[in-house]
Amino acid sequence: MSLVGELVVLLVNGLQTGAIYVLLAIGLSIILGTLKFVNFAHGALYVVGAYIGLLITQQISIANGQLAEWGFPTLGLGWGFIAALVIVPPIVFVVGLAMERFVARPFYDRPDTDQILVTFGLAIVVQELIHALIGPRSYTYDIPSEIAGGIPFSGPVGVPLSAVTIDVWRVWVIAITATLVIAVYAIVEYTDFGLVVKAGTRDPEMVRLLGIRITRPYLVMFGIGAGLAGVAGVVGAPLSNINPEIGMTILVPAFLTVVIGGVGSIRGAVLGGTLIGMVQVTLISLGTVSLGSLSINFTPWAQVGIYALAVVVLLTRPQGLLGSEEVTA
Amino acid sequence: MTAILETRDLVKEFGGLVATDHVNLTIEEGELVSLIGPNGAGKSTLINLITRMLEETEGEIFFEGDPITDLEPHEVVQRGIGKSFQTASIFPELTVEENANIASFGAEHGSFRFNFLKHRSSYPAVQQRTLDTLEAVGLRSQKDTTAADLPYGDKRRLEIGIALASEPALLLMDEPTAGMSPEETQSTVELIEDLQEEMDLTILLVEHDMEIVFSVSDRIAVLNRGSIIAEGPPDEVQGDPSVQEAYLGGVEL
Amino acid sequence: MSDEVGSAAETEADSEPVDESPTLYERWRQIHDNESTVAALTILGVALAPFVLVTLPTQLGLPSEYSWYHNLLTLTLIWGIFALGYDLLLGFTGLLSFGHAIFWGTSAYAAGIFSANVTGSPLAMILVGTLTAVLMAWIIGWISLRRGGIYFAILTLAFGQMIYYIFLSPLGDITGGENGFTGVQVGSLFGVVDLGRAVPFVPEAFVDSWMYVFVGAAMILSVVVGYRILNSPYGAVLRAIRENEQRAEFVGLNVWRYKLMAFILSGAFAGLAGSLYVIQRSFVPIENTLNWTVSGDIVVITVLGGVGSLFGPVFGAGLYMYVANIVSGMPVIGEFWHMILGIVFIAVVATMPHGIWGRVDWLRDRVADAIGGDER
Repeated sequence: MSLVGELVVLLVNGLQTGAIYVLLAIGLSIILGTLKFVNFAHGALYVVGAYIGLLITQQISIANGQLAEWGFPTLGLGWGFIAALVIVPPIVFVVGLAMERFVARPFYDRPDTDQILVTFGLAIVVQELIHALIGPRSYTYDIPSEIAGGIPFSGPVGVPLSAVTIDVWRVWVIAITATLVIAVYAIVEYTDFGLVVKAGTRDPEMVRLLGIRITRPYLVMFGIGAGLAGVAGVVGAPLSNINPEIGMTILVPAFLTVVIGGVGSIRGAVLGGTLIGMVQVTLISLGTVSLGSLSINFTPWAQVGIYALAVVVLLTRPQGLLGSEEVTA
Repeated sequence: MTAILETRDLVKEFGGLVATDHVNLTIEEGELVSLIGPNGAGKSTLINLITRMLEETEGEIFFEGDPITDLEPHEVVQRGIGKSFQTASIFPELTVEENANIASFGAEHGSFRFNFLKHRSSYPAVQQRTLDTLEAVGLRSQKDTTAADLPYGDKRRLEIGIALASEPALLLMDEPTAGMSPEETQSTVELIEDLQEEMDLTILLVEHDMEIVFSVSDRIAVLNRGSIIAEGPPDEVQGDPSVQEAYLGGVEL
Repeated sequence: MSDEVGSAAETEADSEPVDESPTLYERWRQIHDNESTVAALTILGVALAPFVLVTLPTQLGLPSEYSWYHNLLTLTLIWGIFALGYDLLLGFTGLLSFGHAIFWGTSAYAAGIFSANVTGSPLAMILVGTLTAVLMAWIIGWISLRRGGIYFAILTLAFGQMIYYIFLSPLGDITGGENGFTGVQVGSLFGVVDLGRAVPFVPEAFVDSWMYVFVGAAMILSVVVGYRILNSPYGAVLRAIRENEQRAEFVGLNVWRYKLMAFILSGAFAGLAGSLYVIQRSFVPIENTLNWTVSGDIVVITVLGGVGSLFGPVFGAGLYMYVANIVSGMPVIGEFWHMILGIVFIAVVATMPHGIWGRVDWLRDRVADAIGGDER
C-alpha cells in the first residue's frame, strides 16, 4: 500500500471512531453546559439504542438470559438494519425525555455528587437488566451487503498508487454523523429555541432571572442528546460487539471528548471527538516502529493515548480547546 | 499613618469588558473605608482581586508594603486579609463551635500541617481562640447549635466571627447587612463599630445602605464603570457633583 | 455506634436543661465516643463475627447455602477497610472518586509481584502495596484535583481506565495481561505463622485460620487510625471543605493540599486492603482489581452502607458481599441481584443521605429518646 492510500484509510477510520464519540459527546456537553448536570447514564442510552437496534435488525438467540428460561429462546423482529436506523432514534429520544423528567429533574437542585450517583445507579440498573434478561454474551449486527463492502480507492488523478479498500460503512457513519451534527448545530445557532439553550449555557442564572421558562428547552435538548446517543448505539454497533457493559466503557471516551473540546460547545465536541478518534486509530496503525536498536509497539498504547491527550489538554488549557474561561466571581 | 493596602493601576478585563479600570485605592491603618457604586461598577471584582479569587489583567496590589499578586487566596488570608461574605458563608452542618474552631485552626496553624493523628483537644490555644471569637460575636451560649439551625441574623454574626477568628489586620466586608431585618442591621452596625475599636481592625466595607455608609465610614470611595470617580470623607463625597451625577442620578441624598 | 461527631440528636439533647443524674443511655453515649471504646467495640465485633454469622446460623438449622462462610467474612473485612478509607474522601471531604480501583489494584499488583521476586512476607507485601497506592494517589490526585467538582469524578474515572489498559496490554509481560498475575508467593508471617493454618487452642467455631486474625487486626488498626483522623484537626478541616470549600479557603486553609492529603490517606487504606486481598487470594485477577467495576463497587458499598460515619461503610461491605455471593445464588431473585442492588442504591441516594446505617442510627436514637423520656 502506498502512503497516500494508508493515510486515507487512517483518516476514514479515525473520523469514524471519532464520529461515535461526537454523537455521544454533544448530548453530554450541552446538558453539562446548560444544566450543570452530569449524566453518568448517558452510556446507558447508547446501550439501549444498540440493543433495540439489534432486536429490530435481526433475530437473536438468547443463551444465558432469563428471557430464554421464560420461553423466549429467540427474540427480534428481523426487519433489517435500515429499519433500525430509522426507528431507534425516536425511541431513545422518548427514553431521554423520560430520563430527564423522572431521574434528572428531581436532582437539578441537589449537589453534583448526588447527580452523579443517581445516574450511575441508573446506569447499573440498565446494564444489569439487560445482563439478566438477554445475558452477558456479546452480539454482532448483520449489516446488509450493499453497505458492508469496501470501495477500492485509487487516489487523485495523476498520483500513482496501488488501490486500498475503504469500508463503506465507515463512510456512512461519518456522513450520518456529519448530517446530524450540522442539523443540531443549526437548531442551536439559528432558532429561538437554540438561543435559549445557548444563553443557558453561558449563564443559566441570568436566563432564569429573565423569566424564561427554561424547563421545556432543556427537556427537548435532553431528548435530542439521548436520540444522538441512540444513533451512536446503532451506527457504532456494526463495527464492534455489543454487550451490557459497553455503556460504561464508551462513557469514558465520551466524557473525555467533552473535557478536551470544552463544555457546552458543539464545535468543541466535534474537535474533541475527531482528535480522540485520530489519536486512537493512528496509534493502532503505527504498529511496531523501529528507531535504530529501539523498537516500540504502539498498538497496545492506543487506549492509553487518548487519556494522555486528555491530561495534556487539561493541564495546559483546563477549560478545553474551545471552552470559554469560567468566571469565578 | 501608614498604608495597609494599596492598589496601583489595577485593571481587570473579562473578554472585552473592563471591570476595573486603573484603580488606585489606598487604605490607611485603622480606617473604615466604604466602597460604593451602582450595580456593575466593579466593586465585587475589586474585592475578588484583592482576595486573589481573580487574576488581574494588569496592575499591582500591596499589603503592608509587600506585593500580594503572586499569592493564593489562602496565603492572602494568612498574611492578614479576612473576608466576610455577602451571604452567610458558614459550614451549615457543623456546630457553631466547630465553625469557629476551623477558623481558629486556620489562624493558629497556618495553611497546612501533617497532624492527622493528633486529637483536636490537644491544641489549647486553638480552643481558647475559638471561645474568644464566639464571645466577641455573642454566640458563645449557642456553641452547640448546628449552624444551619441559627436564625439568619445569627448566621451572619457567625460568618463575621469566622472571618475574625483568623485575626485579620484588614477585614473586607461584602454587604454585611444584606437581607437583614432593621433590628439585625442595627446590631450588626454596632458590632462593626465595636470590632473596629476593640480589635484595632482596618475595614473595607462594601454596602448599599447609604445610611450605614455615611454613619460609620471614615472615608468613602465611589466606583463607577470600573473607575474611582470620587474619594474622601463622607460629607465631601456627599457634596461631590460628579458622584451625584454618575451614581445617584442627580437625586438629592 | 454513632460515630459522627456532634450529630443532630446529640446537640438537641445538650441544649435542653441537663438532668442532675444522666440517664444510663446518656452515660453510655459519653463513654462510647472515645478511642478506646471504639477500639474495644471493633475488637468485639471482629472477634464475634465468625461465631454469630457462620457458626450460629448453621447450629440453628439455616441452610448452609444461605449462611456466611469464613472466607467471605475475611473478604468483607478487606472490603470494609477499603470502604472506610473511601468514606474519608466521599463522606468527610465530599469528593466523589470513580478511580479507586487504581489504588486497590496497583497495590495488589505491587504486593503480588514483590512476593514473587523479593519476599513473600505478608507484612513486607503490605508495606510495598500500600506505598505504591500512596504514590499513585499522590500523582493522580495532584492532576485530578486541579479541576474541582464534576471534573474530579470524570478525571478519576478516566485515570482508572488508563491504568487498566496500561496493565492489561503494554505492561502485559510483567502483569500477566488479561490472565492476571499468577505467580504470587505468600510466605509465612514473621517466618513462622502460616496464614492458612488454624489458630491453636481456639475452636474453629470462632476463628478458622490465622488469615482471619491477620485481616481482623488490620481492620481494628484501620478503625482506630480512621477514628484518629476524624478527631484530629483534619477531621474538622475536611468536613469544612465538604460543607463550604470557598469559606475554608478564606479562613486561610490550603484547601487544595488538604484535599490531596484526604485523597492520599484514602488511597493508603485502599492500598492496605488491596494488599490483603492478594494475600488472601494468592492471585491478582485484573478484572477484580483494576477494572472500573471495582471503582463502581466501592462507591455502591460506601453509599449504601452510609457516608459520613466509620461503621456505615463496613456495614455496606458486609451487605454487598452477602448479596453478591449468597443472594446471587438464590432462586428467582438471584439472577437479578445486581439490578436490585442498583435500585436500592438509587433509593438510598434519593432519600437517605447517610445510607442504611444512618437510618439504623436514627432509629436507635429515636427509640433511646422515647425510653429516656419515660424515665423522667
